[in-house]
Amino acid sequence: MMWLSGGFLFRSSSSYYHRLDPRVKLLISILMFVCALLARYIYELVLVMAFMAGVAVTAKVLARVGRTMFLTATFSAVIFVVNFLVTRNLVSSELYAVRFVAIVVSTSLFFITASPDELEQVMKTFRMPRDVVFAFVTAVRFIPVMMLDTFQIMDAQKSRGLEMQKGNVFLRLKNMIPVLIPLVVNAVVRSGELAEAMESRAYGAVPKPTSLVRYKARGVDKAVAVAAVALFALTAYSFYVVLPPLFL
Amino acid sequence: MIEFEGVSFTHPNGVLALDNVDLRIEKGETLAIVGENGAGKTTLVRHVTGLLKPAKGRVSVDGVDTRTTTTATLSRKVGVAFQNPDHQLFSESVEAEMAFALKNFGFEPDVVAKRVSWGLQTFGLEEYRGSSPLILSGGEKKRLTLACILAWDPDAVILDEPTVGQDALQKERLAGTVRMLGAAGKTVVIVSHDIEFLWPMQPRVVVMKSGRIVADGPAAEVMQRREALDSARVAQPQLVAFGQELGAKPERPFVDALGARRFIEGRRP
Repeated sequence: MMWLSGGFLFRSSSSYYHRLDPRVKLLISILMFVCALLARYIYELVLVMAFMAGVAVTAKVLARVGRTMFLTATFSAVIFVVNFLVTRNLVSSELYAVRFVAIVVSTSLFFITASPDELEQVMKTFRMPRDVVFAFVTAVRFIPVMMLDTFQIMDAQKSRGLEMQKGNVFLRLKNMIPVLIPLVVNAVVRSGELAEAMESRAYGAVPKPTSLVRYKARGVDKAVAVAAVALFALTAYSFYVVLPPLFL
Repeated sequence: MIEFEGVSFTHPNGVLALDNVDLRIEKGETLAIVGENGAGKTTLVRHVTGLLKPAKGRVSVDGVDTRTTTTATLSRKVGVAFQNPDHQLFSESVEAEMAFALKNFGFEPDVVAKRVSWGLQTFGLEEYRGSSPLILSGGEKKRLTLACILAWDPDAVILDEPTVGQDALQKERLAGTVRMLGAAGKTVVIVSHDIEFLWPMQPRVVVMKSGRIVADGPAAEVMQRREALDSARVAQPQLVAFGQELGAKPERPFVDALGARRFIEGRRP
């Protein structure tokens, strides 16, 4: 589980991509997302995903994106089967399944290369309410903590004779109760403590608090953003005008 | 008997937590593991019930390799009281919380009832029998987790930081419980930073630093080795430091205040 989580969680790195302005990284992810939606044929989606792989290589996160794809493939298989059973159309079922993987990968590329602080700045750029930004960023920041909690709780319950991998699906689900209850209780307690700690450090004391870091787009950020938009326009044009229909 | 043979373990983040550790814990022995934060103490004890498997070397409990069996099976022999009681409490009542492990291990209902009552009385939790374990204070939760473990009568008990959040009286009671377990022939392993709690019990002491054992022996001997203790950021017990200042014989350190008093009175003209 920890291995899979690496496909969605941020880890700092010194790659060129990591150093980009977070707003540019968001723009690239959004454009890749839209490209995945625009693609009408499998081979077009493969081209979009090849571009995503290129971005992942630049950001030195290819292996972690692989984990994202591994996890997403399970859901993708469900989408394929359900869609095929309903429509009886193999090509469209394939398209939906692959598109789902592409969409998730485009999103995960942003989250694994943008730190929670950068995420906060991006959300502030869009003038989202401060409380909403804080709540969202804190939730993201606490995902690894919650995961660690989960493993520790599982260890504690296994040490009390709980066999988590034994029995049928229903028994296994039932065996999750001793893990879920402490996890939820701890999360609620922690959120209360965090709220108190924030208030005791003057959270909300002024309507517009100052920032430690202010992001300012550099020349390279602007150049990458322009290149990304140009490439997107070219891709969209190619999909609808240049590239031939190819039902694979 | 618990045995570590050349055990090494590296965390997924690449940190070497245990580095070729050899340790043999005899049946009925009381052992304290001390050392700086991140020395590998908790990682070491998590290997005993197979929660972690050694990357190199072998850990065995009564001759059974921990890699060949489940944590649930090993836990029948070795009970672990984890540092944070909030990581295990989930039941509707204190009584149900105590019965959880007993039911998992397949005890008969009448045995479960008897052992639950014994645990609640021994640890002063009888009045909370029907209450939710989540509303207990930190100290009470800690006692409950210990009671839960002792209820199934394991051969060995591992206590990870048992004194955190405990007042003086509870620490004294806990020390009494440890002595009682020792007298009953149980193996007790205590991971703690609380040297003053450990010292009066005079356990065998293992000092860890950077995943290695840097000192191992009776408390009276290990606690005199200031260099080893300093390197592992372990404070000497105050009575030992006091005895050294007074020039008491190293082989007979003050175990309690009475020992110090006798020494001082013996030197008076």
